[in-house]
Amino acid sequence: MDLLPAVDLKDGAAVRLVQGDFGRSHDYGDPVALARRYVEGGARWVHVVDLDAARSGVARNRDRVLDIVRAVAVPVQVGGGVRTLADADALLDAGVARVVVGTAAVTDPPFLVALAARHPGRVAVGLDHRGHGAEVSVAGWEEGGGVSLDEVLSRLEEVDLAAVVVTAIERDGMLQGPDTAGLVQVLGRTRHPVVASGGVRSAEDLRALAGLRAGGRGLAGAIVGKALVDGVLGIEEAVRACAASG
Amino acid sequence: MSGLIAVLDYGIGNLRSAEKALVHLGAEARLVTDPDEAAAAAGVVLPGVGAFGRCAEALRSTGLDVVALDAVAAGKPFLGICVGFQLLYEGSEEAPGAAGLGVLAGTVRALGAGVKHPQMQWNRLVRRRGRDSRLLQSLPESPWVYFVHSYAPEVTDDVVATCDYGGEVVAAAERGPVWGTQFHPEKSGARGLAILANFVAACAPARPGR
Repeated sequence: MDLLPAVDLKDGAAVRLVQGDFGRSHDYGDPVALARRYVEGGARWVHVVDLDAARSGVARNRDRVLDIVRAVAVPVQVGGGVRTLADADALLDAGVARVVVGTAAVTDPPFLVALAARHPGRVAVGLDHRGHGAEVSVAGWEEGGGVSLDEVLSRLEEVDLAAVVVTAIERDGMLQGPDTAGLVQVLGRTRHPVVASGGVRSAEDLRALAGLRAGGRGLAGAIVGKALVDGVLGIEEAVRACAASG
Repeated sequence: MSGLIAVLDYGIGNLRSAEKALVHLGAEARLVTDPDEAAAAAGVVLPGVGAFGRCAEALRSTGLDVVALDAVAAGKPFLGICVGFQLLYEGSEEAPGAAGLGVLAGTVRALGAGVKHPQMQWNRLVRRRGRDSRLLQSLPESPWVYFVHSYAPEVTDDVVATCDYGGEVVAAAERGPVWGTQFHPEKSGARGLAILANFVAACAPARPGR
């Protein structure tokens, strides 16, 4: 299982939102320095989210995103505000390894199919949910998407995706531990690689995620944000924990 | 001759990562579009992204194909990356009408059926038995590196490493000072940087008194 340390961007700075609330964020300073630190600590991916773009659809932090891409010698996955083919082209042609689409995947299935065909293996779908079976939440988490997670997963089976990124919103930025039961269910309901996001607070949590199995396979990756920026969890320790059990 | 490492910029975009990685290693590296400037360099990097046909055409139209061939003929250290590696071969199944540089014998073929195209993931190198490699010098036996590709050169005597992706897939080759990687060393973390450092060392001009 790969570790994907998260760098969340808002107004050009690295931040963490608490439970997806734009009114509750902490500022962690220079995103490029943060990404570099993670890679020097052994991370083989960096996960970048343009929070402003996720909410407004305007890629205000794109230059900062590309600064990170150029600064680190590992692939960078980018989410937030990828709603058109042009958005995806701009990122992927500039060296971003893969994009995560959220809103557009739920509200516009033909767009997702076209995007995945245009960039095979480089498109991941981000699904944010509040408990298994609940509505998938989109548009930067502030409006419900009106589709159940199971329904979306079944629709995605025919699309050529790099991964499905599953975030349990209640746990994101809360350091309450990941939603392991929900993730096992997701693993059993999709053929795509599954990346877990939200709630990780310790090496123990990462070892638990790395050990999850359903249908003979495990998680492809785990995104960790707050625990790393807060220093509750060291990057080297996190990398080791992900490598430990697969 | 300067200590410059010329990263050939033939208008296909996204070449900054390779340049940045080399600079990070302390090399005097920059994107070069001018054939004269490239001709004066100590070493040459040929990157490449996208389709073989489009890259071959762009390289030719900028005149940098001649620079690449001259650099090889002069015995300069040369590193092709991804499609830039593929361009060193005679041609590719991807674009039957487009000629490669023909520096290395063989052609580029599609990845096998039954696996996802492109291979876009971290994978482990498998070294060719009995084959020394300067490119992989001082690296672990089977380092993880990052791939994004749907085609790869066929296995020839020049191959120094492969990876397993629905069978044996060529990952790196060397013929004298001409090196190539199908994976992206500039996106392969510390191991990738070590590979680039080997190239930078090969480009370092011999110091007086040695």
